[in-house]
Amino acid sequence: MIARKNIIAMLLGIELILNASALNFAAYTKFVNNNLDGHILSLFIIVIAAAEASVGLGIVIRFFQLRESIHIDDAATLQN
Amino acid sequence: MTIGGAVAVVYSHNLMHACLYLLASLFGVAGLYAVIGADFLAATQLVVYAGGVVILMLFAIMLTGGTGNRINRYGLEKIASMGNKKTYFFAGFAAIITSLILLKIIASVLRAQPTNKVLAANDVTVNKLGVLLATDHILAFEISSVLLLGALIGAAVISRPRKERHD
Repeated sequence: MIARKNIIAMLLGIELILNASALNFAAYTKFVNNNLDGHILSLFIIVIAAAEASVGLGIVIRFFQLRESIHIDDAATLQN
Repeated sequence: MTIGGAVAVVYSHNLMHACLYLLASLFGVAGLYAVIGADFLAATQLVVYAGGVVILMLFAIMLTGGTGNRINRYGLEKIASMGNKKTYFFAGFAAIITSLILLKIIASVLRAQPTNKVLAANDVTVNKLGVLLATDHILAFEISSVLLLGALIGAAVISRPRKERHD
């Protein structure tokens, strides 16, 4: 199945979802109304996806240094 | 290409392959942007995703050692997927309810008539986007700049080597 418990695979999925929504906004601009607000929203979605990717991967690398794992089941506690 | 890449991302079991499929999918989305007349968005997509995010993902995958080990520290084998019959039943139920709600929401969109005047195909949108960003959407622009600054500082703080505490 497509359900994953790998943190990086989950981040890849989040990137795909954000990309789909941005493409949806751009298509809305093209086909329904033709002011450029949809493009602006797509631009902000791309910005937010980039920020999310940087912070998420920082967390993943830190987590790997602590636990030697990137499996989501190992992230069950807030503190050591 | 876009959809095939996306499906390959979620189905491939090797993380490196998934990342490269994601790159292919992002290129496909950039092509779609170019097709529907969003040239600045296509360029941004290529620069930000293909240049930044995918490289960052590849670095993270390599730093965390590829697919990783499948045995956790208790000696139990980690399952790659999750869920049993009950969770799949509830997932299907939630999907049906969500699709009904979405149908209700997009019904008005489906009834909306497409505008007759479409943006000219080769119209360059960069100027208008810049003017709109600096006038109508200036608040969101500033907020996103603060968000990027916060993400920068946050990522640096999180991945900083931790100092030894002297308690």
